[in-house]
Amino acid sequence: MAYEFTKEDLKEIEKLKTKYPEVTPVTLPALWIAQNRFGHVNPEVQKLVAKTLDLPEAHVHGVATFYTQYYKEEKGKHVLDVCTCLSCQLCGGYDILNYLEDKLGIKKGETTDDGMFTLNEVECLGACGYAPMLQVTNDKYVNHLTEEKVDNLIESLKNGEQPEYEKIGMPRRNNIK
Amino acid sequence: MPEIVIDGQTYEFEGEHKLLQFIQDLGKEVPFFCYHPSMSIPANCRQCMVKVGQYVKDKETGEYELDENGEKQIRWFPKLQTSCNLTMSDDMVVHTQETDDLVKRAQKDNLEFILINHPLDCPICDQAGECPLQIQTYKYGPEGSRFEVKKVHKPKRVELGPRVTLDAERCINCTRCTRFTQEISNTHQLTITSRGDKNYPTTAPGETFDDPYSMNTVDICPVGALTSSDFRFKARVWEMNQTPSIDITNGKGSNIDLWTRDNLILRITPRHNEDVNDHWIPDEARDAYKLFNENRISRPIQKLDGEQILSSWNNAIATFNEQVADTDKDKILIIGSPHASVEENYVFSKYANLLGIDQPVFTPNIEEGKGDGFLITDDLAPNTTGCKLLNLKEKKASAIKKSVKNAELVIVLSDHLLDRNVLSQEDFDDKFVIVFATNHSDTTKAADLVVPITTAAEHAASYVNIDGRIQRTFPAKETKYSNRRLDLEMSEGRLDRYGTNFDNWRTEENKVDCLPLWRFMAEVSDQSGVDVVYNSGREIIEEIAGLNEAFSGVSYPDMDDNNGIQLSIEGTKKTKA
Repeated sequence: MAYEFTKEDLKEIEKLKTKYPEVTPVTLPALWIAQNRFGHVNPEVQKLVAKTLDLPEAHVHGVATFYTQYYKEEKGKHVLDVCTCLSCQLCGGYDILNYLEDKLGIKKGETTDDGMFTLNEVECLGACGYAPMLQVTNDKYVNHLTEEKVDNLIESLKNGEQPEYEKIGMPRRNNIK
Repeated sequence: MPEIVIDGQTYEFEGEHKLLQFIQDLGKEVPFFCYHPSMSIPANCRQCMVKVGQYVKDKETGEYELDENGEKQIRWFPKLQTSCNLTMSDDMVVHTQETDDLVKRAQKDNLEFILINHPLDCPICDQAGECPLQIQTYKYGPEGSRFEVKKVHKPKRVELGPRVTLDAERCINCTRCTRFTQEISNTHQLTITSRGDKNYPTTAPGETFDDPYSMNTVDICPVGALTSSDFRFKARVWEMNQTPSIDITNGKGSNIDLWTRDNLILRITPRHNEDVNDHWIPDEARDAYKLFNENRISRPIQKLDGEQILSSWNNAIATFNEQVADTDKDKILIIGSPHASVEENYVFSKYANLLGIDQPVFTPNIEEGKGDGFLITDDLAPNTTGCKLLNLKEKKASAIKKSVKNAELVIVLSDHLLDRNVLSQEDFDDKFVIVFATNHSDTTKAADLVVPITTAAEHAASYVNIDGRIQRTFPAKETKYSNRRLDLEMSEGRLDRYGTNFDNWRTEENKVDCLPLWRFMAEVSDQSGVDVVYNSGREIIEEIAGLNEAFSGVSYPDMDDNNGIQLSIEGTKKTKA
């Protein structure tokens, strides 16, 4: 399959180019545009980005592989990044991960056969206060996970609903009993 | 003048200097991996840490503030600094690892970190013996590692390109190689992939590292991560002799080192000369080592009844003299060569002069469009300018063909005219053809007499590059008639000096039965009485310097002291190095 940017994408990239004194910094947003368009930035897509920006392929490859949020291969429609770093681990991060593995019938790092879900184990996402938590496709955090919450999440994702942004207040002195 | 105090010693300096380079220029040392004087400074290996401070001055009076002991007060930078990217300023105080335990400790700990995922396979690594990581670990590193868990494994034996092999586990991610492709060769073929402890240099997926300068990354790699696919596992560094020389594959005259063992050239590496090639050479130049080892003509060859057979030196000399004596002088054509040295061409031109034969002709070996404005030139020969300066008659290929037609005796010096389509087999019909050559080729096959002569790796001789810079070679390997210990032009390695015949590195094999051109011509003179007797290239260049204006003041010692001498030639422009 040949990857092509749409006219809108190209227009957006052109606009980005005017924002920076040189074209190299456009690599990052251009890769985002590509990932939003194709769902991933595999080597073919990296090549397309390099060609579009007239940058060396090696440079784009280096940038794409540096950041874990760029998917270097095709992933499921929804990527579930379950945090198992220290705080989440202590609050049951691995339980959530194992529950998801059983529920989806895949191991971490794998994608379901229907292409709906990819399950990843990730390092700290900076939400230790709301552990255990997971992130959906580089976007919304789902916090204070329980098995019911996970069930609901999977259900709503299957129905095409994205989770809502969840506002959680900082623990303040008067909030602590 | 601004002053800087390094390890208690005060130095004056002018202009902008980076601290690490300044310390190195003083002949002192601070360990480092990623810094390279010809490239940008990323300061990412963190090895060149030093402690830096500044004398405190009273803002109003401009006087130094003193402490209770009457010493100048120093305001230290809050943390250790990498010296490679630190610009020196007046009143700076620097402590290196030689005077400061904190610096020593920092460098040691940094090395321990660098070595955490390094495989430590020095015994089988090509870089061992010339490895900055190995050397600096011995000098500044910890005695052992406290890292007891499994090391990170990465790809090994990756063929990045046709000439470079990567061992990612050995890599310390100094980014010298990626910076080389970005800043020097401008192919942008390499990048660092991934991050953290999983990163290593690579090409974009599906691309090959076919940069015409790719093997320079092997030289600048401070570990054994990038190795030459050709040279891998062929020899250990300490088994070889290193002799300075000049690249003969193109007109740039890049400075090189020849690495020899057992009278074979095993590899060629660049030698720093900022006026010519800086630290780099093209990959083609490295391939030339085969010219010195393989397909060599050993012993003169003569044609008997249409068939070439091995002959003897006495026969060759006699035949040469007979042919010259028996042929009308205006029917003798001597073809000089841009592939041969100044000395060789001069000997021929003098011989022609004394005999009243026409001045030798030559035809340049140019491939239009091959040059890249860097170190690869259109000119495929190392000494075209030298031939011109010696007043050899420059002729087009067609004119050479015509001259050959009119001649009866054709003497060709080291130029494979048939192979490069200047002449064809038929042009030699009914002529007596004498070819002086180093390697077998179609041209030597067509000759009636082939005289084997020494290559640039076996004699001391000079070449003038396209920019008019005269530079010389040193004998790097022995021929059948030369001996490292007797030939004073030759450098002796430790092994030559102390080795015995029982050492496995020392063999009498691989010595080619050939003579320097001037030695052969001296033998010719003995019999014919024509006076072209020289013992060495040194004598010849002295004579040329005295007779030819263009070469005035040129001598071997001068060339050696200054890495070659720029001759003044009109009408030639200096190309970018």
